[in-house]
Amino acid sequence: MENEKSIMSNEESLRIIRSMIESTKQDLRDNGSWFLLWGWLVFAACILHYTLMGVGYEKPYLAWMLMPIGGVISFIKGLREGKSQKVKTHIDEFMKHVLIAFLVSLFIVLGFMPKLGLSTYPLIMMVYGFWLYISGGVINFRPLRIGGIINWVLAIAAFFVEFELQLVLLGTAVLLGYIIPGYILRNKYNKAVKLNPNSSKESYV
Amino acid sequence: MFNELNPLLHQQLRLSVMSLLMNVKEADFTYIREKTGATAGNLSVQINKLAEAEYIQVKKSFKENYPLTTCSVT
Repeated sequence: MENEKSIMSNEESLRIIRSMIESTKQDLRDNGSWFLLWGWLVFAACILHYTLMGVGYEKPYLAWMLMPIGGVISFIKGLREGKSQKVKTHIDEFMKHVLIAFLVSLFIVLGFMPKLGLSTYPLIMMVYGFWLYISGGVINFRPLRIGGIINWVLAIAAFFVEFELQLVLLGTAVLLGYIIPGYILRNKYNKAVKLNPNSSKESYV
Repeated sequence: MFNELNPLLHQQLRLSVMSLLMNVKEADFTYIREKTGATAGNLSVQINKLAEAEYIQVKKSFKENYPLTTCSVT
């Protein structure tokens, strides 16, 4: 670019502004990795819990020990992504606060599990729905918003069923809310990267 | 209806930097350089001019022992 060029035409100014806006837009891509990571972990834990109950194992809830493992993976992944992040968008900042609100709500539900009893899983799905719907709205991605709505519907349904069926509903909720939208998002991301290879380096999630 | 645009912004690179930063919360120097295609020296000069005019805020820090310059709109 030239060092000094004092007068620009309106068209030229607009072209510059537009090209800069477009170039940052391409970085607002989510490759779906967080949705896939947690979707598969929760899904696996549901299946394992259900299976262990089926075979009559004494402590089937040990299946949820997968969650701390996910926590450690997330911590490492988050640190690595933070280090390579060259730009912080307004969406990043907004999503950071939504994530905090989501995690606090989730931990309150998990912390009061003994008091909540059979209402625990429906409330977890309700909090998932909240997170998915907002994420889908912010990145303008319909499958996530639909996933959020499905989570809410399944949360209502889960209030009326036994624990075993609640496990099945939670597994379905993460499959439809996290895993499937996660793969669609990944597909979309890969396609976009193929079209514009340079923009992939600064993907924000 | 609108005030005249400050002549400081009537320059390709400075306008590019402002347009870029208006769209994000903050960005590293290397990111801005990649997006604008400018040379490091030229970009550094223009960023200083924008910072002097208080259009942008420049934060200098270190990341893994390397200097890191982060810019954001004031």
